Amino acid sequence: MSFLKFILKNPFRRKTSAFLAIVGIAIGIIVIVALGGITDGLVNTFEDTIHAGGADFQISGKETGDSAYGTNTIDASWTDKISNVSGVEEAYPIYVVLTSVGDDYMNTLIGINPDGTQLADISMKEGRLFENNANEVILGEIYADDNGYKIGDNIEIDSENFEVVGIFESGDSNMAGGVFTSISKVGELMDDEDSISNIYVKVNKGEDPQTVADRIDAQYGDNITTITSVMEMEQMADMLNMLQASTWAISLLAIVVGGLGIINTMLMSVFERTREIGVLKAVGWSNTKILTMIVGESLVITIVSAIIGSLIGFLACTLLGPQIGIEPLFTPKIFIQAFSIAIVVGIIGGLYPAIKAVRLPPTEALRYE
Amino acid sequence: MNAVEIKDLYKSYENGKIKALNGVNLTVKDGEFVSIIGPSGSGKSTLLNMLGALDVPDSGSIEVAGQNLNNSKKLNEFRAEKIGFIFQLHNLIPNISVVENIEIPMYTQKLSSKEMRKKALKLLDDVGLKEKAKILPNKLSGGERQRVAIARALANDPSIILADEPTGSLDSKTSSKILRQLIELHESKKVTLIIVTHDMDVAKLANRVIEVLDGEIISAGDDSLINSKIDV
Repeated sequence: MSFLKFILKNPFRRKTSAFLAIVGIAIGIIVIVALGGITDGLVNTFEDTIHAGGADFQISGKETGDSAYGTNTIDASWTDKISNVSGVEEAYPIYVVLTSVGDDYMNTLIGINPDGTQLADISMKEGRLFENNANEVILGEIYADDNGYKIGDNIEIDSENFEVVGIFESGDSNMAGGVFTSISKVGELMDDEDSISNIYVKVNKGEDPQTVADRIDAQYGDNITTITSVMEMEQMADMLNMLQASTWAISLLAIVVGGLGIINTMLMSVFERTREIGVLKAVGWSNTKILTMIVGESLVITIVSAIIGSLIGFLACTLLGPQIGIEPLFTPKIFIQAFSIAIVVGIIGGLYPAIKAVRLPPTEALRYE
Repeated sequence: MNAVEIKDLYKSYENGKIKALNGVNLTVKDGEFVSIIGPSGSGKSTLLNMLGALDVPDSGSIEVAGQNLNNSKKLNEFRAEKIGFIFQLHNLIPNISVVENIEIPMYTQKLSSKEMRKKALKLLDDVGLKEKAKILPNKLSGGERQRVAIARALANDPSIILADEPTGSLDSKTSSKILRQLIELHESKKVTLIIVTHDMDVAKLANRVIEVLDGEIISAGDDSLINSKIDV
């Protein structure tokens, strides 16, 4: 039997102690993996909620102030200018006007590009999207419910007849109470096809939205203003930081508990095997070889624990999470983290008893009862 | 050539309160079978530990199998290559098989897994236990365990076998069988055999009986004691 095989098999020869050690360390790994998955899932959901359909912030005309749906307009050419700012991934125009809609003398009509729906934070519940420049609208589900509209109905907007072609959902109640058509149609109705009211901006992955917003402000701040929902973003950052800090605190606790568990297990194992270590010394094993054996065994136990713990943590979260309203997100980072922790704990946990063992004089080890 | 050369060896424990060896001088020739006898606490086990480089002396010189053990840093290599130990309580590792126990000393040598297994099985065959290679030591009788310990002691082809009360925990019949086997292996493999015992009947089997008392050798033995009067 090779030395490697000897190390691999050795921990499982003492079945009870190996089982107890694996259970102890696996619990730590389960906690790390489960918490990691839950936190990443929460962060993901949180970001989805905060960023309007993926947009990181909005731009409006200088005089519209903080009102995202103000009726003041900016020139449509701003969309292209904003698209070219460094750090901007996408810039989508939106045209919001107040006009007569159905029985309402004044209501909000929102014009967007048909391919810009993601940014406008809406998703179709029934029907389809409007065609560009057609007399077609989609209604927010709140508006449709309140006014009794369904797909195929006609609705009069600014004295023109429009067909309801779709009903959409939105997490934003302002949106869900709105009426949408193509941006070009709104321009045509307003007789002002070169204007828009807001631009939704999505920044490149890894870019800080605030930094990009500041960049736009610095460049075009005299004409337009960025609305970054600063309060929301700060709160979000605080909450994310808190979530991550909590995860780390609990993970650290898990590591400490798991680490102490393995040190205890390995110490017990070394004590139990004191006479055996004496024999190994007597037959000529070097201290390095004995050290390698004990640390190797410790690593075997922790890696097996990491595999079992990761599997249980993943399965438990995936199966049970959705039932309590949590959508966990598992990235390779979580498993790499769990295995790295297991390996470090395995080395440290094994090293201390190993050093203790090799320092023991062989005659004393052989006398050990 | 001498297997052992000891001059003025001193060893004490507990800050000199216990004088385990008190100026020991001893020479053992290559291939000789020597027994060391003495009452408990006389220093015979300490002497054996010194010979096996398990312990180091306070003063005096000790040379075993041509190696000076006073200042050597690679004592583990010396033990691996030159010494085979047999302990009173066999000291087999309980949760590995009989054959794996015999392979344990071979991990210090550059042998492949196959070579190790082949050699271990041959040694087991030599002590008549080849058929029990795969079982755990706790399934063996006391005598069988000690035979496995003998096979393990021979694993690295040592030039000296040091046996500390090898039959101390065995009944007289099993004891005779083990000693006979040990003597046969000593003769066939031409290894130096040094046995520590407090049993005069066992001691008398040796070429020479060395008597130890209070950390001193009171008799280095003579040829009149060659071979025993008891039947082994």
